[in-house]
Amino acid sequence: MFERLLEEAPEFFNYHNMIFILEAMGRTLSMTVIGCSVGLVCGLLIAVLRQSNSRTLIPIKFIAITYVEIFRRIPFLVILFIVLFVIEPLMPGTSLLGIATVAVCLLSTAFLSEIIRAGLESVPPQQIEGAKTLNFSFLQTIMLVMLPQAWKVILPPAAAFIVMFIKDTALASQLGVIELTFVGKMLVNRGFSPMLGFGAVLICYFILSYPLSRFSEYLGKRLASS
Amino acid sequence: MDYTFQFSEVLEDLPYLLGGAVVTLQIAFIAFWGGAIIGIFGAIAKVYGRESVRRITSAYVIFFTNTPALVQIFLLYYALPDAGILLPPMTAVLIGLVLNSGAYLTEILKAGVISVRRSEMEAATALGMSGLQILRFVMLPHIAKTIYAPLSNFFIWLVLGSSLAALFGVEELTGRAINISTTSFRSIETFTVVAGIYVILTIIASTSLALVGRWAFRVKAKIF
Repeated sequence: MFERLLEEAPEFFNYHNMIFILEAMGRTLSMTVIGCSVGLVCGLLIAVLRQSNSRTLIPIKFIAITYVEIFRRIPFLVILFIVLFVIEPLMPGTSLLGIATVAVCLLSTAFLSEIIRAGLESVPPQQIEGAKTLNFSFLQTIMLVMLPQAWKVILPPAAAFIVMFIKDTALASQLGVIELTFVGKMLVNRGFSPMLGFGAVLICYFILSYPLSRFSEYLGKRLASS
Repeated sequence: MDYTFQFSEVLEDLPYLLGGAVVTLQIAFIAFWGGAIIGIFGAIAKVYGRESVRRITSAYVIFFTNTPALVQIFLLYYALPDAGILLPPMTAVLIGLVLNSGAYLTEILKAGVISVRRSEMEAATALGMSGLQILRFVMLPHIAKTIYAPLSNFFIWLVLGSSLAALFGVEELTGRAINISTTSFRSIETFTVVAGIYVILTIIASTSLALVGRWAFRVKAKIF
């Protein structure tokens, strides 16, 4: 097995393969970055919405809670398939990468809104009452009282969650998005040994997610003590 | 754009899908308990082990938590035959998931092992408690309180994560959904129904886990 690896290695690590793998890494990364940025914004909106006591917002709140609870309980693979089969007839010609990104957005919104909510709820209620007595508006309370304290609670699990998402995008290879895992499969199909093809892909994933998970650990320690 | 939803064909296959849900739960169970065994040893090694043992466990945890389970299983499934080991898909998926969950559970259980303070153990010994009593009344409540919620979350995550077994041809819930949608062409309906089954399955699982936690360990686990 190892002789075969050594034999193939020079051919495997040629310029074109490397460019191919790097491009795929870029796609994996862009799916994660776009998905998680959208998820962060929408998740923040949902979490803030859930904090409000306004009566007119109750129906929207209900929808938001149902959305979060449902999407946190569906496997990413199933969401990918549903998004594929819904978008394909509605908007023919949407790229597979776009479809996968939409699926990532949907799921990360649900998960990140829970993380942000936990952060907002970690702020002691006395402070919110205090803000109310000082006649702060709802948005002022969120922006000036809750978020400045909550971000410390939010950031470490959010970073850990993004690491999870880098790994979950591997499932998008099943749709045919040319990301890292798909490239691994293609290289193996081209005749390279699976050990080499998938091993290289594994290392690429590791390069992407290890710094982020270390960062998350660091944040967890640093912010907990302060 | 008109599309008429027809759930009848999918609903006919509901028993078939529910059978898949049972397989999903089985995979999650095996992965969880297999991972728990690795996790217990890993956690003890990480807290009490020698430097070299700790290094090795950390390397294992870091490697498995930072790479996708899918690619790990690809490697097991496609690369091991080169070395003369041919795994059936189900076994490959199970080995991959057990190794993967072992890494996560090492981290979770480590938090539990750390949560027991030495001074409390000493106090319990001073009160004349036996070893079993210390385990039951001093250690277990602490450990349960710190790790019960993450453990039940992790089990739910495994139920969802086991869906990747479908990509290797294992006929669990998602796999059976793929089978149905390729024969009936009712893809949206099939996957909506399957998503619903997953939602119900995980709600049942997390509710019962929360109830067990309250009853057995007095953990105030949130159901939602």
